[in-house]
Amino acid sequence: MDKLLRLIGQRLGLGLLTLLVVSVLIFSAVELLPGDLAEAVLGQAATEETVAAMREQLGLDRSAPVRYLEWLSGAVVGDFGNSLISGERVSDAISERFSNTLMLAAYAAVIAVPISILLGIMVALLRNTLFDRVANVMTLTSISSPEFFLGYILILYFSVKTGWFPAIASQMGDTSLGDYLYRTFLPALALVLVVTAHMMRMTRAAIINLLASPYIEMARLKGVSPLKVIVKHALPNAWAPIINVVALNLAYLITGVVLVEVVFVYPGIGQLLVDAVAKRDFAIVQACCLIFAATFILLNLAADVGSILTNPRLRHPK
Amino acid sequence: MLTFVIVYYGVLIAASCAAAYFKQRQAFQLLFSLLLVSMVVGIVGGAAGLRFIAIAACLLAAAAGISYAFREFLVQIAKPSLARELRTAPLTAAFGMFIIFVYAVAAIFAPWIAPFGQAEVIDSAFAPADDKMLLGADQLGRDMFSRLIYAARNTVGLALSATILAFLMGAGAGLWAAVRGGWFDTAFGRVVDILMSIPSLIFALLILSIFGTNLTIIVVVVAIMYAPRVFRLTRAVAGNVVVMDYIEAARLRGEGDWFLIRREILPNTTAPLIAEFGLEFCFVFLLMAGLSFLGLGIQPPTADWGSMVRENATLISFGEITPLIPAAAIALLTVAVNFVVDWMLFRSSGLKER
Repeated sequence: MDKLLRLIGQRLGLGLLTLLVVSVLIFSAVELLPGDLAEAVLGQAATEETVAAMREQLGLDRSAPVRYLEWLSGAVVGDFGNSLISGERVSDAISERFSNTLMLAAYAAVIAVPISILLGIMVALLRNTLFDRVANVMTLTSISSPEFFLGYILILYFSVKTGWFPAIASQMGDTSLGDYLYRTFLPALALVLVVTAHMMRMTRAAIINLLASPYIEMARLKGVSPLKVIVKHALPNAWAPIINVVALNLAYLITGVVLVEVVFVYPGIGQLLVDAVAKRDFAIVQACCLIFAATFILLNLAADVGSILTNPRLRHPK
Repeated sequence: MLTFVIVYYGVLIAASCAAAYFKQRQAFQLLFSLLLVSMVVGIVGGAAGLRFIAIAACLLAAAAGISYAFREFLVQIAKPSLARELRTAPLTAAFGMFIIFVYAVAAIFAPWIAPFGQAEVIDSAFAPADDKMLLGADQLGRDMFSRLIYAARNTVGLALSATILAFLMGAGAGLWAAVRGGWFDTAFGRVVDILMSIPSLIFALLILSIFGTNLTIIVVVVAIMYAPRVFRLTRAVAGNVVVMDYIEAARLRGEGDWFLIRREILPNTTAPLIAEFGLEFCFVFLLMAGLSFLGLGIQPPTADWGSMVRENATLISFGEITPLIPAAAIALLTVAVNFVVDWMLFRSSGLKER
């Protein structure tokens, strides 16, 4: 048990360290600006005085490490400073949109995870049959399509041609849960299609790898029923790869969500990020990037910890 | 309509009976399942649904036919050793190669194929298709078809150069780290771990917000984002080769690192590296398509599939499919590359199947 705790502690520490390095990268990327932040924000029309005033307002007279520490300590408690364009607080702009994005990602995940794991296991058991081949071609096609392609196809067929679902998910306001699920069905479905394909393929590969191992063959040879082989012998070892697959794909969802949000005009953090990039509002860009990166790293960390926890060889040391 | 339905079922039943009689098991299964599916669709969707299924089946059959023919063609012109490999390629892989071939022709001979220039304004905005303009005009009245062809050159060219750059950096560092080992190897491994823990689209957006949309910067940034994946694979594959006896022998002969990489390791790692190159291209291509869809990639008036989708997206709300064609072009090429890669991975790797 000691060893297990130490392993998890190590992983957590490493994850924290990675997050720290990434935050340094995000902060210092803005330092790479040609000229400096004040000049970049004010653009061509800047005079000496306005640039100087802006520098003072942004605190650019202090050294970069000091500003980094201030930014980081603010970010930890959810304070990302003020927007460079509108002047409003970044945290205000982000908080609601972030929960919208999380809602959408959770919606997609709740549909995608059970379906894809079930299908993935089925395809692994039926490998090299016609069903497997067709599934292989379909998942490859789905993986290869850009998210906006899937999104627009869904809009064309489920919204424009049939009118079953709304194409644009921009009006949120006070809606009931049922209404919300109905309005955001198409963006969620677009995400589900991409993620399901990824997850199915990864689950299939993991299960096939497992079923080829000698101890499974041994169980089969001694006459254990196929169901029992899977439930008692394969599954305990399969949890680790499956948890890994799920967490990795949830992390993938986080980036896939940006394009889908833009297609469906969904008021999430991805759209905020894209707008901020176009407007060169660095405070918002940095905040969004940090949030995305942190979520991504946390999910990867969860994948690692999950697979350590479910690994029978680590739980029952010799 | 009725004759169509009768003829359709008649042909299907006759064909499946013939396949069963001549003991063509696979063909029979395929035809009969098509028949069953058609029955269900025919009951649910009526004749229109049946027509849809028929068209889809014909398209699939045509794709299978052209892939088969293309594979035979390749087998005949290839060298004997390569021809033997090609003969075992599944139809999907042959289809992938055919599509890649078509794209390459379109990209190389773009100015001769496209009837108009990519920035040439021909007609009014969103003019419908006629015999002069195959797919109609875009939002500024430029010919969609010509822009599609030119975009094959611009979009694919950019993605290809980023992939090559990523590959040179990743594979070079990977091979070197495998040969040198020690602190050099460890340091590279750490850097790669960190780079891989940043979502690539997000990082690309961060950098683009700072430097603006500049093609060189896009290529370099995307290459840096994807080099770590190549590094990991190369390092792993080369790591297995480095411990072989013949490497030891070459070292004892006094050969340098460069010789080891070039003459001993590279020839033994080409198959997985080529497969990785294909995969990498897909990732880079999709990322770049995403960026230009967001308006942050290739800038107008240069034609580009991603931005073409965005510019013409309003047409979708009128039920037009023209804006989807560039997106479909992206998807088709990625699918094609993936099909080929799938086959190569299956051939070269120790994936425990069968």
